Amino acid sequence: MHRGAPRLSATAGTVPAVSLRRVTKRFPETRLDDEVVAVDELDLDVTDGEFFALLGPSGCGKTTTLRMVAGFEFPTEGSVHIHGTEMGRRPPDRRPVNTVFQSYALFPHMTVAENVAFGLRMRDVARDEARRRVAEAIELVQLRGRDGAMPGDLSGGQQQRVALARALVNRPKVLLLDEPLGALDLRLREAMQVELKQLQALLGITFVHVTHDQEEALAMSDRLAVMDAGRLVQVGTPAEVYERPRTRFVAEFLGDANLLTAEAVDAERVRLPDGTVVRIASGRSAGAAVHLSLRPEQLDLVAAGTPVEPHLDAVEGTVARIGYFGSAIEYDVALDTGGPEVLVTARLGNARGVVARTVGERVRMRWTPDSVTVLED
Amino acid sequence: MSTVTGTGSTARGAGRRGARREPEAVRPQGRAARLLTGHGWLTFAFLYLPILVLVALSFNDNRFVGVWGGATLRWYRELGSEPAIFDALRNSLVVALVSTVLATALGTAAAISLDRFRWRGRRAFDGLLFLPVIVPDVTLAVMLLLLFVQVLDLLAAVLGVRATFGLGTITLSHVAFNVAFVAVVVRARLARLDPRLEEAAADLYAGPWRTFRHVTLPLIAPGVAGGALLALTLSLDDVVVTSFVAGPGSTTLPVYVFGLIRRGVTPLINAVSVLMLAGSMLLVVVSLALQGRRGGGAVRAAVPGRT
Amino acid sequence: MVDVAPAPAPAHRRGPRPPAPPGPEREAARAAARRGALIGLPPLVTMVLLFAVPLGIVAVYSVATRGRTGRTELADWNLDAYARLLEPLVLEIAGRSLGYAALTTLLCLAIGYPFAYWLTTRRPGVRAVLLVLVMLPFWSNFLVRTYAWRVLLGSDGPIVTALAAVGLGEVRLLFTPFAVVLGLVYGYLPFMVLPLYSSLERLDLRLVEAARDLGATGWEAFRRVTWPLSRPGVVAGSVLVFIPSFGAYVTPELLGGSRTTLVGSFVVRQFLSARDWPFGSALSMAILVVMLAATVAYFRAQERRS
Repeated sequence: MHRGAPRLSATAGTVPAVSLRRVTKRFPETRLDDEVVAVDELDLDVTDGEFFALLGPSGCGKTTTLRMVAGFEFPTEGSVHIHGTEMGRRPPDRRPVNTVFQSYALFPHMTVAENVAFGLRMRDVARDEARRRVAEAIELVQLRGRDGAMPGDLSGGQQQRVALARALVNRPKVLLLDEPLGALDLRLREAMQVELKQLQALLGITFVHVTHDQEEALAMSDRLAVMDAGRLVQVGTPAEVYERPRTRFVAEFLGDANLLTAEAVDAERVRLPDGTVVRIASGRSAGAAVHLSLRPEQLDLVAAGTPVEPHLDAVEGTVARIGYFGSAIEYDVALDTGGPEVLVTARLGNARGVVARTVGERVRMRWTPDSVTVLED
Repeated sequence: MSTVTGTGSTARGAGRRGARREPEAVRPQGRAARLLTGHGWLTFAFLYLPILVLVALSFNDNRFVGVWGGATLRWYRELGSEPAIFDALRNSLVVALVSTVLATALGTAAAISLDRFRWRGRRAFDGLLFLPVIVPDVTLAVMLLLLFVQVLDLLAAVLGVRATFGLGTITLSHVAFNVAFVAVVVRARLARLDPRLEEAAADLYAGPWRTFRHVTLPLIAPGVAGGALLALTLSLDDVVVTSFVAGPGSTTLPVYVFGLIRRGVTPLINAVSVLMLAGSMLLVVVSLALQGRRGGGAVRAAVPGRT
Repeated sequence: MVDVAPAPAPAHRRGPRPPAPPGPEREAARAAARRGALIGLPPLVTMVLLFAVPLGIVAVYSVATRGRTGRTELADWNLDAYARLLEPLVLEIAGRSLGYAALTTLLCLAIGYPFAYWLTTRRPGVRAVLLVLVMLPFWSNFLVRTYAWRVLLGSDGPIVTALAAVGLGEVRLLFTPFAVVLGLVYGYLPFMVLPLYSSLERLDLRLVEAARDLGATGWEAFRRVTWPLSRPGVVAGSVLVFIPSFGAYVTPELLGGSRTTLVGSFVVRQFLSARDWPFGSALSMAILVVMLAATVAYFRAQERRS
């Protein structure tokens, strides 16, 4: 469940937990005596209480963005606000946020309990209360009994939990997570995804989660933002962004997509490379090139010549390659373009009754017109 | 036949302690291995035999060092009637302790300001701090001698203060060469300290001072201790610089012993030497013991090689 | 269709916007720079007063004039002291110092490399003990370690006595070039072994395995993989041995004679006996230049590698 529609501005509704206003961060490039723009005029609002994911490939500026919220970096231009207060050059120790670091950054010379207690100690929380809260936090991340262990003696998963407890014990208004699951193996990562999500729902703290893992972002977040080259490309709920990618970058970065270039026939129809005319949700003026995204799992494969029902669109082609994935089977189908090869991939669930195709077989691919997304570039 | 291994190992990335396996087929075998082992033990013999012979001779009951005349403690006892040695020892300890404390504090500050901050003049300072590492003792001795000649003249002329060469000038001179060595050692340790740890402390509400006090300092402690140990050792080793800037009555132990040696080898010097040797080894052993749990961080930290 | 444009204006539709307000970065960076300079100030002042200023004073003395009584006259500036650097005696001493230092470095490398390599092949437990045994001489009093050789090599020392006993006659070892180089090698060997050990210990054995797997013999694998990868240790060790060997004073004074004078002793003589401070200063400046040159060469070698 996500909280409401994407926000358009900070003034709508309550004050956002985090908001970035025209934030630019440039780093000096020492070798070339030049600058690298890590974050480029970013505007972003994170709603109070939501699980927000910042998604993008490495080097897209997502971690820099997070570090500017935490106070480890300061914007070259623009401003960062947390719960309506401008942070300016306020250092990290005077910001109401806590961070879970990618490498956990546990203090190696302190026990688990000392690590967790650190923030409370620095804020001079009374000894009894601190002890109670530390115990609570350790309990919360299911590490009871490991209070006296040194970080070096813990497994990766346990270290991750300590890092989480160390941040949460301070009851921050916003919890920043910098690829917190990146160092864990697949199975543990999936388990932690569920746990983090539950924890966030339980505590009601705003989570800002930086990741390059699209599945993680889709599975965990209420809303996510896709970043590329320091800019925000698209913000929305996982379903919105996945099903209606705005650009080619988003379509390719989130899941697999068939990207096709077509020619607009009129406002509602386009001509595919093989000449087939199909329907689209919203179009361009006739003759213009239109870029389409089709998700493989939204395509269906039937024998060539199967009649096309009126609410569907279809193309014909030849199976060029088959990829067997156990739970799913992917077919790369070459369209009959007569020119350069155009492959369209269909992913079919490997359910009982699905007819297996063979390479070279003529097939018909069909879909409902609303599964076609028109891209902006 | 060739093997394709799964690890994308590179010279730089690999070689972390954990990834390493022990003696393997790729190590020298057979005759080459035996030659290496023989060479290894010979080298150890080369390193230690002179010291062992010296120790043995210090117990030799014969004025002529080359002829064994039975074991005795007489030379050690005779040291008791040489008050000059004890004066020199006291001077040495005072100079070593004071200069080590000063150099450790200054060197650590230098390391932190160079490694953790970007400021104007940082590069020039870095270069200046590098000089003592490459300037030989004699050059440094000349530099400091001329400096103190000028400064003392200036003090006499301007303020009318009659300061002389002595423990003060020696201590300052030792600070001059030790700051840089401490800084090098501490910096190597700082460079390996994950800056995320300091960020984490700041993220958990520790201001700059508390971050340093609770996170940075405990984690670079072996480096600081190593720097201090190096400073102490260099100070207790120094002959050249000290003999240039010493004044009457401020001779240190190495300078005093150096003077004795030049006049000739005597069993008495053997005894002093063995005691000095024992002193420096004791220092290292105590440091090793103090940090046994961490594998002798300080003793190892200050040793050259972590380049 | 849902409006999925990011608020408030999507990047690609950026119209002519006024420039964004400057962020706090500059101020924050300035504050950090101030703090860094503040922390660095005490050591910086110390180093300027005890190092940079003295260096300047030496430079001044080197162009001053020696008075008749040996007192330096800070007047009549001239380059006479530098001209004297080209006198045959000085060149001979400088050449000898360079030669001894180079020989010492080579010998240390020849002894130290196989030694360090051997250390890395020992079992971890044994290795830790051996490493401490290598470090102990490094930490031990240098003067005493040199003195030990004076005792050993002396005319009534155990070696000469033993040689005479087996009928080899009266052999003179002390106060010879042999004794000086031996003392230098002995004194500075740990400076060579320790960096070598650390670069060899860091070496990834899988690379050697890969070389062997690809058909290299043991020797070829060493020559083409181990040796090149341990070069940083070789270079670092060589510099650490060369520099103090060149400027050595204690070792040649204790083990050498009048025919093995090195620059270190020569400089000291100008100050403590000849009382020719301008000439001593010029010599010191020259030594510094040689050291700087050696160091620059060292960094060049390091850079070429990366």
